[in-house]
Amino acid sequence: MPHIPIIMPQLGESIAEANIINFLVKARDNVEADQDIIEVETDKATMTVASPCKGKIEKFTAQLNESYAVGATLGQIEATKEEAARLGLDVAPAKIPETEQLSKSDSNRRSGRVQPTVRGLPVPANAAGASYLSPRLKARMDELGLHAADLAGVAGSGAAGRVTVEDFEKYIASLDKHKMSEASSMRVAVADAMRRSWTRPLATVGLPVALDAVLAHRKNSNPKPGPALYALRALAIALAENSAVAGRLVGNKIIHPSAIDVGFAVEAEDGVLVPVLRGADKKSLSELVVRYNELVELARQRKLPADATGGSIATVTNYGTFGLIWATPIPLPEQTLVLGMGAGRRAPNWDEVKKQFVPVMEANLTLSFDHRVLDGGAAGRLLSRIADLMSRPEKL
Amino acid sequence: MLQPVLDDNPAVQTATARDTTLAAFRFMLLARLLDDKFAALYRAGKIHGGVFLARGQEALSASIGISLKKTDVFAPLIRDTAGRLAFGETVLDAVRTYLGSPLGPMRGRDGNVHRGKPQEGYLPMISHLGAMISVVNGVLFARRFKKISGTVGAACIGDGATSTGAFHEALNQAAVEKLPLVLIVADNQYAYSTPTSFQFACENLADKAAGYGVESHSVDGTELSACLETVGKAVARARAGNGPQLVVANLLRLCGHGEHDDASYIDPQVKNSPLGRDCLKVAEVFLLQNKITDAAQIAAWRSEAIREIEEAVAQVQREPAPDPFTENWSAISSGHLSETHEENGN
Amino acid sequence: MGTEITYIDAIREAQSHALRDDPRVFIYGQDVGAFGGAFKATKNLAKEFPGRVLDSPISEDAMVGLAVGAAIEGLRPIIEMQFADFSTVGFNQIVNQAATLFWRTNVPCPITVRLPFGGTSGGGPFHSQCIETIYAHYPGLIVLTPATVEDAYSMLLEGVALDDPVIFCEHKFLYRHLKAEKLPSEALPIGKARIAREGRDLTIVTYSAMVHEALEAATELSGEGWEIEIVDLRSVKPLDTDTVMASVSRTGKLLCVGEAWPWGGVTAEIIARVASEGYGLLDAPPHRLNAKDTPVPYHPNLWTAHRPTARAVAVAARKLLRT
Repeated sequence: MPHIPIIMPQLGESIAEANIINFLVKARDNVEADQDIIEVETDKATMTVASPCKGKIEKFTAQLNESYAVGATLGQIEATKEEAARLGLDVAPAKIPETEQLSKSDSNRRSGRVQPTVRGLPVPANAAGASYLSPRLKARMDELGLHAADLAGVAGSGAAGRVTVEDFEKYIASLDKHKMSEASSMRVAVADAMRRSWTRPLATVGLPVALDAVLAHRKNSNPKPGPALYALRALAIALAENSAVAGRLVGNKIIHPSAIDVGFAVEAEDGVLVPVLRGADKKSLSELVVRYNELVELARQRKLPADATGGSIATVTNYGTFGLIWATPIPLPEQTLVLGMGAGRRAPNWDEVKKQFVPVMEANLTLSFDHRVLDGGAAGRLLSRIADLMSRPEKL
Repeated sequence: MLQPVLDDNPAVQTATARDTTLAAFRFMLLARLLDDKFAALYRAGKIHGGVFLARGQEALSASIGISLKKTDVFAPLIRDTAGRLAFGETVLDAVRTYLGSPLGPMRGRDGNVHRGKPQEGYLPMISHLGAMISVVNGVLFARRFKKISGTVGAACIGDGATSTGAFHEALNQAAVEKLPLVLIVADNQYAYSTPTSFQFACENLADKAAGYGVESHSVDGTELSACLETVGKAVARARAGNGPQLVVANLLRLCGHGEHDDASYIDPQVKNSPLGRDCLKVAEVFLLQNKITDAAQIAAWRSEAIREIEEAVAQVQREPAPDPFTENWSAISSGHLSETHEENGN
Repeated sequence: MGTEITYIDAIREAQSHALRDDPRVFIYGQDVGAFGGAFKATKNLAKEFPGRVLDSPISEDAMVGLAVGAAIEGLRPIIEMQFADFSTVGFNQIVNQAATLFWRTNVPCPITVRLPFGGTSGGGPFHSQCIETIYAHYPGLIVLTPATVEDAYSMLLEGVALDDPVIFCEHKFLYRHLKAEKLPSEALPIGKARIAREGRDLTIVTYSAMVHEALEAATELSGEGWEIEIVDLRSVKPLDTDTVMASVSRTGKLLCVGEAWPWGGVTAEIIARVASEGYGLLDAPPHRLNAKDTPVPYHPNLWTAHRPTARAVAVAARKLLRT
């Protein structure tokens, strides 16, 4: 025989429970459906509980003068299968559905280890998580004078691998365990310049150039121009012929340079200075050399006057002085081009006329450029022109 | 400046009935001239917002103001220039409100007919018609609660407002609570452009009183002496404890709903009927014919009123406008609970 | 039963003390007199304070209008609306008469309007509404939403004593489901929010019955290693932005939970303030959880899905915790 529970009904708005004040029938009594079987009292009124079906009271589990919550079981009725079926009491009441099913994987326990995840909120929508900096993180980084580049080595535990402010604070705290030295203001300035420059798509092309003519010319000169000056002068002439390649891209316009002022890199303590030769296209090599040597000396002493720096449209760097044969220098953030020259060394070159390898003093010229402004072809043509000009140093 | 003259000593009642009539007439005259001034200022572009005149309703309104004691409570409505003056409002306060002076009772925060001094029993209306009646009920309830006897509360409404739920709830509430409320309906035949045939289906608004279980009075709103008698009687009955009194006065609005309205919808037949008489002219004729006063006296009152009005306007026009930068932008009196929103400048 | 005090007992006690201590206080509403009120919030008070607890006709507009008139005369009326849902019939008097009186005339309007609000199972669309937002929107009103028995008592007492119109939102579900051991002798003042639970990983800002759903969710999440901080606003107007901001500065993540509908509600207001004044505090976008944008349904299956429950709060919180 099915056992049907007797349930405390809902007795009014906001009523949570009621007190049993009287049992109108007792165990083993037969009752009809809807017959009043228990009297209860709430704050507001006295009410009765009715039998859910015809049957026999099996037992009351509720006690007199005790309070029971709405929905609590107060007893059991024995009823026939037919009676239970007639009233639909043989079907268990439908469970109230959960708002969302909890799955094991959802719990995502917080562990000490950083576990990047691609689930969770894309913060904000459509942004790739790994590079997302929340406002709080940005504010904290601003406080410490840091940039996104500084986070490159920090593991992110946030959605899609983003660095959360917690990851960041842990990282900063962990730095305390390491040996630290103060970065000079020069170092910080260069770091900032290179970071800003790198926001552009940069590419490098290279060409080996024979330096024999240049070296011979230099031997016979007084004062002696530095090898980089030959490259600088050649670059200036080539840029005067086609200044667009040194232009700046602003939106959809290319801003052409108004004067061919070219700078050259000088290594100073903990950084690089870039003195500038103004109007290098309009002065011959011999006219430039004195000023060039002056500027080099001033730069090394860090006594460059203000009018001797800034405003250049391209830079030349002689990384060969470090013994390097190849490098991909980074243009200054406000410039599109940087021309680099590697160390010269004797290399075999095929001579088509003599049909043999001949020794040549060779150095690599590398041109790094902002690929938004010019492509490989234009870069290549510029380098070729420079190499060509350097093969006739007496005309520079 | 005029003062309300009503004396509640029955022995001198009849002796001062003449004085009361004259006093009421003077308030009617002052109200008409003040309204003319507001209309002129409006046409001169000196008033921002609406101007609502009371032309044609001065007799009824003056009768209400003058029948009340200073300790009573009065909730006038749109066409009660005369009643407000009779109850004790100054011309200066009325002008200051219309011109938005920070020295007026509403300090530029509300304007035109939305003016009053609540703690002096003179309630400032809100625009929602019928809403002021239950507020009058509240004041009367509080007087009784505080065991202050003898107060009467008067609330004015028009024929249109009798259609609102607020009117119904408030009249019912006053009846159930047996409050000394005098509810005066100025049936001026039109609610803006809507004639009464579209406003209610009963024959006479006074018939509604039976539905609420209250006493009713009907009166010709164009006749000053009839208004004084009927309103006076209703006030007395309320004060004597007979519960709410519904007074329905029939008249015609002799101006637009506002000065922006030309009232071209008013039926010419009604305009030319006795209902369309100008109560001010009617009163003047009555006073002269019955030798209660003479033309010279009326002319003198007229000049005095004009002078008082012009002085007030001249004074107020020299007063500074409200300054938004020194204004206290808090709507609650508990300063410590005010929220500041810097982005909105407060 | 014992000596425990329920939320509604506290409301009754507060009214009793207000009537006792201030002769200007009276209560006016439908069935509040001998019957003691639909929820028994004024049980026995009419007897204890004759002439102070009065029955009104079914006229929410006139009830509030009368209260305003009485307030002008210096009395302190408490109006009991039978359900918050019916207060809209008196809406005009609340927002255009009571709320504007002080600003227009410099005369304060010390009325208190008690609204039995919030959902109970089976209440349906017109006995369940949370409409604190529409009152908070109008300038000139104080809107209170106590979540605890202690706050129901102290905030009603303080609200009646304020000189401004107070909309007192008392949650019907909490009436008899929430119990405390005793009434408080001191309390946070109106205008200050309370930290209902200290935490570290996420801030939930909420009010009224939702505070208890949030607490339950927080317990569940604690088992997973997350510690949730819960701010109980206590009053939605004024809204204690400082406490909210301080909490978000500790946790960096914000979830606002409200039982009301989403459009322009309390949760939207909090997020607007935090986004504007505390932008740099947020480590993730601020989120909110509200009831679904439909009238409140009748069947319990629909009702429990319509409103935020502890389970739904936990799910919403987890989303943010994982960002």
